[in-house]
Amino acid sequence: MAELIIETPGMLTTVQDLGRFGSARFGMSPSGPMDSVSFRIANILVGNDPKDSALEATILGPTVRFTDDGLIAVTGADMAPKLNSRPCPRYQAVPVRSGDILQLGAITSGARTYVAFSGGIDVPLMMGSRATAVQNKVGGFEGRRLMAGDRLSLGKPAYLPADTDPRHLPLPAPYANEAIFRVVPGPQEDAFTEAGRKTFYGSTYTVSTESNRMGCRLEGSVIEHAGDGNIISDGIVAGCIQVPGSGQPIVLLQECQTVGGYAKIATVISADLSRLGQCKAGDRITFQAVTLAEAQQAYREQERVILALEERFNHSWAESFVRRIGRRLAGKTI
Amino acid sequence: MSKYQLRPVGDRALTVEFENEISRAVNQKVRALDHLLTEKKLRGVEELVPTYRSLLIRYDPLTVSFEQLERYIERAVSKASALQLPKAIVTEIPVLYEGEYGLDLEEIAQLKNKTVEEIIRIHSQSDYYIYMLGFSPGHPYTARFENPFSFRRRSTPRVKIPGGSIVVQLALSDIIPFDQPCGWNIIGTTPLLACDYRQENPFLLRAGQWIRHVPIDKSEFMEIKRQVELGEYKPRTYEKEA
Repeated sequence: MAELIIETPGMLTTVQDLGRFGSARFGMSPSGPMDSVSFRIANILVGNDPKDSALEATILGPTVRFTDDGLIAVTGADMAPKLNSRPCPRYQAVPVRSGDILQLGAITSGARTYVAFSGGIDVPLMMGSRATAVQNKVGGFEGRRLMAGDRLSLGKPAYLPADTDPRHLPLPAPYANEAIFRVVPGPQEDAFTEAGRKTFYGSTYTVSTESNRMGCRLEGSVIEHAGDGNIISDGIVAGCIQVPGSGQPIVLLQECQTVGGYAKIATVISADLSRLGQCKAGDRITFQAVTLAEAQQAYREQERVILALEERFNHSWAESFVRRIGRRLAGKTI
Repeated sequence: MSKYQLRPVGDRALTVEFENEISRAVNQKVRALDHLLTEKKLRGVEELVPTYRSLLIRYDPLTVSFEQLERYIERAVSKASALQLPKAIVTEIPVLYEGEYGLDLEEIAQLKNKTVEEIIRIHSQSDYYIYMLGFSPGHPYTARFENPFSFRRRSTPRVKIPGGSIVVQLALSDIIPFDQPCGWNIIGTTPLLACDYRQENPFLLRAGQWIRHVPIDKSEFMEIKRQVELGEYKPRTYEKEA
């Protein structure tokens, strides 16, 4: 059984898959990758099923050793990855050999890097998902961040026909230290004065060091409430921006609590959530209101791009046929 | 027909809000709509989260549009007001109310000029209704409607209290699923787990159900705890009479 050995764990490296959905009514938030677009691209490049799990590394990445041959892809923030001390291409499917060492360093821009392994990471499913809920200490690898000495089982790599061109994508530009996030106003925009709303849309906020997978705390101009900023606790999704009594907004993320009692002035649109996952302390953020229609159109377009990649790499007629044969030969069900 | 407001929560969720109050009557509206939508399984509706006075709906805008949902919800709310919900379930929570397991019992009794026995009787004689779960997995937000009794807050919160603690504040009683900081008074401890990931359904409680606290002694506590640790304990549940 192929294994991944964690030699050094980096700052916060966890096993993630697309998320543990369906139990928010029980107080369980989905967890999953903070930058799901980069995560999905990594999986596509190595021929994985979209549901396969991969690693999310934060700020400073891990050093890992492979016990068997395989195929990997590194996406998201640039951690200057090295394979056996030589630069490792990003946004490309890279073959690895037994004994190889992959070393991820510190980010130069952005916050999170994804490493996908063909065949996925084989940790037990917890409530249908392999995502690690760091706060709730459950799922992924033993419900926690990876530590030196951890050994993760890897699934059998998908059979991919030899390409004349390795599977690769153009490198995205480095992440800037400032970004504009599109939001749909509300659900409690009327809990704020007009001055408060103007402040929110007109100010630049700085990501505080007290930010994590639960939420991005922002520092900047105080946002004025119409009342005391409290509401009867209701449901929350990733992207919701709550403003407690302090007047400083918090953008809630994939591990946020499922219900909360602070008024929510706006919600970051789905298409911008992945970019939010690349924010770190010190970054400067502004918000721009868009309509629901515009937000959904942006989501539609983003999905179209990702699905086109999936088609291009993993579902062309000939490849699909060869992959099916390959999976049968590798002992997997078709 | 119930009055409600529908608000987008970003581009992939919306919330159906009923009256702005915490009451059993309003929560019943949330429960009824939740029940109806859960049964109907409309294509594109991915998840429902019932809370005190609103229902959060996560949906896939590539499958169902906001406008379609608006129309659907209008019909559903209308149907829901006539809905006969199944009888609510009461789950018995065995509680050891003594010594280190009920750390603040004496203090609570003193503050209210009552004996410890009276406090135990007051706490365990009435059912607590579960409005919703949240804050941490399996954690109930409760209230009781009969024999009102208000428990005082602590002046200083504790940095950590053990999972299984039964804590009280004002008219509320909570089961703490995992070790955590807490500013409420600890009245007792239950050997049950509000959240046990080893179980196929990890969650002991659900929104719309009731809790009944049942005093037990130390030896019963140890026995139930042993069964819970083996994953063998089945809590006693029964239908609540209207």
